[in-house]
Amino acid sequence: METKAAIANDDATKLRELSNHTIHTASVHQDPSDIAVAVVVYSISKIIERKDYRQDPQWEKFLNNFKLCIDKSIKYAEKDDEKGFAMGIACVRKSINKLSGKLRVYIQDVFKRAEINKASRIYEHGISMEQTAKLLGVSMFDLANYAGQTGIANVSENKTIDVKTRIKTTMEMFG
Amino acid sequence: MKAIVFDASTLISLVMNGLLPELRELKKIFKGKFIITNDVKREVIDKPLKIKRFELEALKIKQLLDDKILELPSSVEVKDSEILRETNKLILLANEMFKGDKKDIRIIHSGETSCLALSKILNEKKIENVLAIDERTMRILVEKPENLKELLQKKLHCEIILRKENFVFFRGFKIIRSAELMYVAHKKGVVRLRNGQVLDALLWAVKFKGCSISDEEIEEIKRIE
Repeated sequence: METKAAIANDDATKLRELSNHTIHTASVHQDPSDIAVAVVVYSISKIIERKDYRQDPQWEKFLNNFKLCIDKSIKYAEKDDEKGFAMGIACVRKSINKLSGKLRVYIQDVFKRAEINKASRIYEHGISMEQTAKLLGVSMFDLANYAGQTGIANVSENKTIDVKTRIKTTMEMFG
Repeated sequence: MKAIVFDASTLISLVMNGLLPELRELKKIFKGKFIITNDVKREVIDKPLKIKRFELEALKIKQLLDDKILELPSSVEVKDSEILRETNKLILLANEMFKGDKKDIRIIHSGETSCLALSKILNEKKIENVLAIDERTMRILVEKPENLKELLQKKLHCEIILRKENFVFFRGFKIIRSAELMYVAHKKGVVRLRNGQVLDALLWAVKFKGCSISDEEIEEIKRIE
């Protein structure tokens, strides 16, 4: 419901907040539906920020379709129907495939970037790089490249043994 | 006989920075083998070969395998079935080590775990070895699992219950990263570049491609020089 309201209000910040919240749950439960929700909500936050694509003749139809999919997902969620909920989320992806031209390329790109961004967030939460890549269906190359440019490695928990010891171990291996 | 067991994350940092020639040079001065498991091969060669954006990187790593710079576990007479058996054991133990929201949190996958499994088998065979792992979860799990608990707790905003009795299965492994490998490459004079602050550039480059090293650690390494 909050997602629907945020879309109606063009509230990209709120949508990103909702997506981040879903990531906490997704990291623990690793349920594909939670992950898909996080990606979809984050993507739409990015899409509504770009006003220029609204001139595209397909825009209105896409947005209405998107809202219908969200409605469908909410209805299933209220009935605790996980399968139906997953179908509702999958319907968002299908609506992208119905697009053509620049809008299709743009939205597909937004979704791809959203997957990598969410993967990076899950990795940041303490799930391994490979496990995260598998969950999101992204390449480890993409994830490593993205995560490397964040502050993930700078958190205090990252420090386990001191640098000198690790260098010594490596030097000893090379004789 | 010595061995360095490479995880996908380390090879990714190196190949994406064009540092495989340095790895080749390191192999020349290493009295042992650089090994990857079949799970890692899948991640760094087989899968990316099908992704146009990373096809070139996959081919470069494949060339290392073809040139026997990297070798498979069969080169040290370790069977895939042995690795698989050990991997399955370790995955199970790791993925039941942290419980949050009444659920075991699956923290690791087969590729990185297969490296651990191979290292364990090599230890049993008395083959001195280290793991080269750039991603941080496996490293923290092995070296300081309490930190992983803290991290999960902080990020997931829920209490994490730690199964301490499983710690013992993850002890005794030695981990290095691409950063330390590049330090050695620099120290041994096998880095092609000679101008400027090469070590600084190398360390930052691998960090930006996923090596889990902090800014502070980079500065410390530079001071060791």
